Amino acid sequence: MTQDRPDAAEVLDALAEFLFSDVREWAPRERRFQVLVAANLCAILGRELRAGSEPLREDLALLRELLGAKPPAGELTDAELRDAVRAAEAELARRLRAGELDEGLDRTVARLAEHVRRKLDVARPGYAG
Amino acid sequence: MGGEEPAPGPIREALGHALGSDPGPLELSHVPGGASRETFQVAAETGRWVLRRDPPGGQSFVPLEVEFAVVQAVSAAGVAVPRPLHLEPEGGRFGTAGYLMDHVEGTSVAPRVLRRDGYEAARLRLPAELAAALARIHAVELEGVAAVASAGSNPALAACELWEGELDQIGEPLPALEAGLRWLRLHLPAPPERSTLVHGDFRLGNFIVDEDGLAAVIDWELCHAGDPTEDVGWLSIRSWRFGNDDRPVAGLGALDEFLVAYEAAGGSRPSAERLRWWEAMGNVKWATICARQAHDHLTGRRRSHELASLGRRICEPEWDLLELLR
Repeated sequence: MTQDRPDAAEVLDALAEFLFSDVREWAPRERRFQVLVAANLCAILGRELRAGSEPLREDLALLRELLGAKPPAGELTDAELRDAVRAAEAELARRLRAGELDEGLDRTVARLAEHVRRKLDVARPGYAG
Repeated sequence: MGGEEPAPGPIREALGHALGSDPGPLELSHVPGGASRETFQVAAETGRWVLRRDPPGGQSFVPLEVEFAVVQAVSAAGVAVPRPLHLEPEGGRFGTAGYLMDHVEGTSVAPRVLRRDGYEAARLRLPAELAAALARIHAVELEGVAAVASAGSNPALAACELWEGELDQIGEPLPALEAGLRWLRLHLPAPPERSTLVHGDFRLGNFIVDEDGLAAVIDWELCHAGDPTEDVGWLSIRSWRFGNDDRPVAGLGALDEFLVAYEAAGGSRPSAERLRWWEAMGNVKWATICARQAHDHLTGRRRSHELASLGRRICEPEWDLLELLR
């Protein structure tokens, strides 16, 4: 990270605007969709940077709760946090598949909707209503 | 797309044989898209056709010979499809296995059908036309297309196993998707009264539409024998409404109106529970396909920001899946 401005999210905003307005105009008709996809990816990254590590922390707490595990001890770096979330996701996915969480599955489904909503807040705001 | 382009000379020869007269010199252009099969526009001064073939070194869910036989069978049953003209096996005149068909004028781009001026009449007619086409597809005698893969004794269980296996290969941890899959396994519908031909990818994007409505149903590479409700559920998932969330069937119309037309055309109306199960399974399928496409990008199999972006869209069908189960 650097302290200079525009910061990373602001750079991505600029790129999204450029792709969405200018490049879309120049692009041949059959490539416009690909330009829109690129613009949308920049917008997603901008939101992800602004959200910071909070959604991951909330996800880790939720996943550990569903796994019946203790909350993590001490502060995790962002990289450790991401690894911990993916490990908890993998473990929860494995136990769901094995039928070990069949009891209370309806409640698990409801709680996992919170986890999906956090992903949508970054990837597609408004989709979850 | 990598791989060798098919050669125009042998295609001209095959086309001349199928048509009974030489079409003249041909120009080929690759049509982007398609799940795994390659599509080429074939143009001459005398007409236009389409060549669909396996990618070099690649295969698809349904062998190309079977796809050809199915398109012939549904064409004979009165479903609007591009008229199939000529099949060549692997190592034949098209290089890989492939077939030629008539070109059908129109668009298959869903947002264009749903929003563009000029398609107002088509949008009004499409729900009933799609319902009638689907009823005819589901009435095709399976004996006529004996090689179509069967989904086993319970198509619902087979679908669970298919997508679980695919997720295992991809290896991306997706607990919400797994929770949904587990719920579906614990609430399996009974096998359908009659196992039918299932298109397998029946949605806007795989229909050629002109100003008057449905011109052709295309992309038969996922067809199989199974529960006909699978096609209705897939057609109704939110992702295929392209933002028209108030119109559950393909972003075009109401579910009941669609089912009335489907029944009127000879289809058998599924129960609400069976339909909900297959719509939920449709979301499992789309989420898994998104994960697969992103995985293909990440592993370098096919580098593309479009495929990469689908990794960030998995959460959309995940959300819709969980909503359907609550």
